[in-house]
Parts: sequence; C-alpha cells; structure tokens
Amino acid sequence: MKKYLKTIMLSGILAFGGTVVPAVADNIKIGFNVPLTGFAAADGQSALHGAELAVKQVNGSGGVNGKMLELVVYDDQASPKESAPLAVKMITKDGVVAGISGSYSGATRAAATIFAEAKVPYISAYAIHPDITRAGDYVFRTSFMGEVQGRAGAKLIGEMLGKKRVVMVTLNNDFGKSLAAGFKEQAKNFGVSVLAEYDYSIKDREFGPIISKIKADKPDAIYASGYFFTAGPMVSQIRAAGLSQPIIGQEGYDSQKFIEIAGKASEGVMITTSLDRDSSSPETKDFISGFAKKAGYPADMVAASGHTALLVVADALKRAGSNDAAALRDAISKTSLSASTGKISFNALGEVQKDVQVQVVKGGNWHHHSVISDAVLLAPPSK
Amino acid sequence: MLFFDLCIQGVIQGAIYALIALGLTLVYGLLRILHVAHAALFTLGGYIGVIVTNGSGSFLLALFTSMLIVAVVGMSSYTIIYKPLLNRAPLISLIASIGIFIASEELFRIFFGAYGLSYINPPLQGQIEILSGVSLSHARILVVVLAIGLLSGVGWLAINTRVGIAARATVIDPQMAASSGINVEIIRYGSFFIGSAFAGAAGVMVSLLNNLVEPTMGAVPSYKALAIIVLGGLGNVRGALVASLALGIIESFGTIYVGHLLDRDSIAFAFLIMVLMVRPQGLLARG
Repeated sequence: MKKYLKTIMLSGILAFGGTVVPAVADNIKIGFNVPLTGFAAADGQSALHGAELAVKQVNGSGGVNGKMLELVVYDDQASPKESAPLAVKMITKDGVVAGISGSYSGATRAAATIFAEAKVPYISAYAIHPDITRAGDYVFRTSFMGEVQGRAGAKLIGEMLGKKRVVMVTLNNDFGKSLAAGFKEQAKNFGVSVLAEYDYSIKDREFGPIISKIKADKPDAIYASGYFFTAGPMVSQIRAAGLSQPIIGQEGYDSQKFIEIAGKASEGVMITTSLDRDSSSPETKDFISGFAKKAGYPADMVAASGHTALLVVADALKRAGSNDAAALRDAISKTSLSASTGKISFNALGEVQKDVQVQVVKGGNWHHHSVISDAVLLAPPSK
Repeated sequence: MLFFDLCIQGVIQGAIYALIALGLTLVYGLLRILHVAHAALFTLGGYIGVIVTNGSGSFLLALFTSMLIVAVVGMSSYTIIYKPLLNRAPLISLIASIGIFIASEELFRIFFGAYGLSYINPPLQGQIEILSGVSLSHARILVVVLAIGLLSGVGWLAINTRVGIAARATVIDPQMAASSGINVEIIRYGSFFIGSAFAGAAGVMVSLLNNLVEPTMGAVPSYKALAIIVLGGLGNVRGALVASLALGIIESFGTIYVGHLLDRDSIAFAFLIMVLMVRPQGLLARG
C-alpha cells in the first residue's frame, strides 16, 4: 500500500513538473501558468526562461521586502480546460500573491476570470485577447492588444513605407483576427486599400494556393499575421514563388527561430513588436545578454514579456510593502517601470501604454528599424 | 493563369496526401485497423530527413535513410502494438494507436526540442518556370515526381508480381489466402514496410516545403488521412489515391474562394460529408 501511494505521489509530482522545488515557507510565491507541452511549448519555454531570469535578478539583489521570490510553475498546454483548475490550485493551495500568464489567450482568459473573482492580481504577459483585462480590475496586461498592434501596422505600411495596395493574410484565431481588426480600422486613415484578405488556420504550413492568388492580386505590400512556426514557412514559400513585395508581420514572428525557418527569405521582413534588440536602455541590454546566457538561444518577444511581467509584480510588491492583495493591485495599477520591453504603465482597464518597436531582419538577425510612439493611435481601450 | 496555378498547388498537396494515405489504406485493407499512429511515422520521417541532411549534406541520402528507418519502425509497430491485439475488438487497436500517436508528439518534443528543426541549407530551392508566370521550386516538382514514381511502382508490383497478387488476395479473403499457401504475415509486414516508407518520404518532402519539422506536424495528417481513406472507400487503394488528389484540389480552390468562411480542414470535411451523402461506400468502392 505504501509503495502504491508513493507511486501515485511520484506520478503526481511528475505531472505537475515545476512544483517539485522544495517550498520554503517564507518565500513570496508567484504563480506562473505556461504551456510546456503541446503545440505552444516553444513559446512557453521562452516565457518561463524570461520569468526565471527576472526572479534570479530580483533575488540576486536581495529579494523583495527582505524575502525571496519563488515561481510556482504549472503547464497549462495553452488550453483553458487546463488553466482554469490550475488557477484555482495556485490561489487556494499554493497561496500565490499574484499570478502571471506566460500562455496564449484561451488559457489566459479562463485563468483571468478565476483570479479576478478571487481578487488576486493577475498579469497577462503576452496574450492579446481584449476580454482578458475585462475579467476584472485585478487583471493587467504588459503586452499590446492585437488591435493596437494592428493599427501600428497600418501606420507602418501606409505612412512610413508609403505602400498603399495591401493584401492581408490573416491567422483565423483571436490573435490574427484582432490584429486584422486594428489594421482595417486604421487602413483608410493612412491611405491603405486592402485588396483582399485570406484566412488560414494555425495548423496550416502550406500556403501554395494563397500565394498563387496574391501573385494575381499584385499588391504593394503583404500584411500577414502569424506565429514564427506559421510565418516562417509562409515567408519562405512567398519568396520561393518569386514575390518580392515587403512583408509586414507582428510580434508572433518575433523569434530567432523565424529567421532560421525562413532563411534568406526572412531578410527585410518587418514586424511590430515590444522588444528592441538594438536598444540602448540598460534594462533591455541586461535582459538580452542575461537571457542568451541562461537559455542558450537569443531572446525573443515572449521571453521579454515573461521577464517584464515578473518585474512588474516584484516592483509593485516593493512599493506595496506587503503581500496584501488589494495593496498589491493598487501598486500594480500605479506602475511606472523601465523594463526589457520599454517603459510600462497601465490605464484604467489595466492595459499597458508603451511605444511599438519596429524590427527588421538584416544579416540573419532582428534589428531596430523604427519606433512608433503615437499616443493617440496606440491608445488601448480604457473600459 | 491563376486557375492553373491553383490546380498545380492542389496536385502538390494531393501528392503528399496520397503518399501518407497509401499506408493507412493498406493497413486497413489487411487488418481492419485504423492506424492513427501512421502520422507519427510521417513526423519521424521529417525529423530524420532534416537531421541526416544537416549532418551529411546529402538530401538524397536523407530521403533513403528516412524511408528505410521509418519502414522498419512501421514494421515493428505491427509486431509490438497491433499483432498482440489482433484477436481483440478493432476499437482496442484504435485506442492503442491513438495513444502511441499522442505519446510520440511529446517524445519528439523531448528528444528534439519544442522549437522543431529546420534545414541549415535547404536543398532544391531553385526555380523552374513551367508555364509563363507559373514557376515552381525544384522541391515542389520533386514531391509530385516522387509520389508518381513510388505509387506507380507499388501499382506495378501489385498487378504484375506473385507477391502483389498474393497481397491483393489476402486483402479480399485472408483465410482463403492463407489456406492457398500464402504467408499472410509476410504480406502484412510488407504492407507496413511500404506504407511506412512512403509516409517517411512524405514527411521528408513536407519538411522541405516548410523548412520546418515540429513535434505536432503529424496532427493534421492523423485525421485527414482517415478522411481520405473513408472518402476513397475503406481499404480501396485506388480510391484513396483519387480521394487524395480530389481533396488537394478542393482545398486549393476552397482556401481562396471560401477560405473566409471555412478553414482548410472544414473544407475537406464538408467535401467528405457531401460525397458520403451521395456515395456512402466512398468514391471508388464497389457498391
């Protein structure tokens, strides 16, 4: 019987991977749900490295209010049916003072509702669905909403690049659709006409038919949403079909892996994102070098977002001076912090207000292209 | 021009489907098992293709190695999983197969990393203009050439050799075939060998077109190949090939003209449902 129990306990521990770190009663626990298996595991891994790096940096400089931070990590497989019970567990069993989502929108929305009801602060590191922060006033977001980034894309193409006839290739999930909504909302204001929009699913890696049609449409530029694992094959297939128009993407491309997949075809591809590789800010430089050392591969947007979200919590804990949830919430809402993804502050809804970074692939690496800092254009909704 | 271009894209996709679906339909014909784990062999093929190409610099070597290794793994899947379950209800083999498939995705992730792998110097990227304004990369042309070559090779074997005739006899009536002196086990191993090798080849070709192999790359083929063999008439090889091509072309046009309403998979399954309403036995099965 004893042996049997041991097996059950062992498999339980294995199933919940990250929590085997022996818990020290005095640590301040911060919950972190993140996809470590399944289709989003690569992004999850990066986000976790980013958050762990932030914990190491905070603890290395003496912790918070005399205590050490401890990350309580759970694998949510980017699925709401995993993240919801994990949120309950983090709040009731682990007693976390705050939660962070290093996951996609579906999983983040489900967990956000539970955190909001329990009145425990929760930060979405890079999930973009508009409803996440509407779950309640304990929920914040440190990355751009899709719409905001879409608007920035319209300005980049229509005004900064001067391209007016655009074909859109849209990933048909909440990420792609909200980007497309923002882009279309602002397209006219920048003189951009959308010739056509083609949808694809997150499972697609083969874009032959869409590319044939784009060839017939003859656009000036292509605005394509996606993640590095869809955009990599797409961009390489677009160039292999002989199309040379500028391709403009977003933070989903933001990974060295995109350049690896698309190879030479990635040269000149531009994206709107939160991480500036050539930044002169010490926070960003520190993060970029620290991340490469820790993870063994170059930093990406997701990693910087996980890192930023954790630092926002640590900073708010310091200012609140206690672990009290209401005090912590108030402190987060008054954040004014220089982090790896820029200067972070929140509006009344808990949405971040910051500049959009435009990066371009040059010589096999992401580099600075320009910054879009139009406060009106980039204003997130405040209710 | 767009019309031809879309047809060609459809044929390329159809060729990949055909390479994957052949093994599945062979296994169903012989054993009445839905071999979902076949899609894991497709993924394995892609990984071996990338790893061997990056290591040796030879894509041809990678293609052959991949087909051979995947074929052997496919045969051992019969020995290890299906053979012990042959006398049980088909549902049990199906569940075992799904389990293996799900486990394989995580195994690929554990061994090769969550980010997937890419070719360092992707081979066969040159272009050929086949019609004015329609140019294809060598990789895309090779997909079609390879599919036609491999599939007609099997077709020739099935029609002109004693082994082929024995295999077809085994599909029609295994007991009668066995009592006529046909070694049914050898036929089964042979089918797993050929079907798996083709799935491996498909995996290598897809890895080349996308320049990416990832742990979940078998997810779509795992159910789409099932749709194809149902569409073709379960166990009917010729039907599966026709269905592959039809589906490739339907998806190609569908992505453009109804893509804003239905995604690629929905188009495929809507087509499947429509065909089954008219021909419940599938496209080519005898009614």
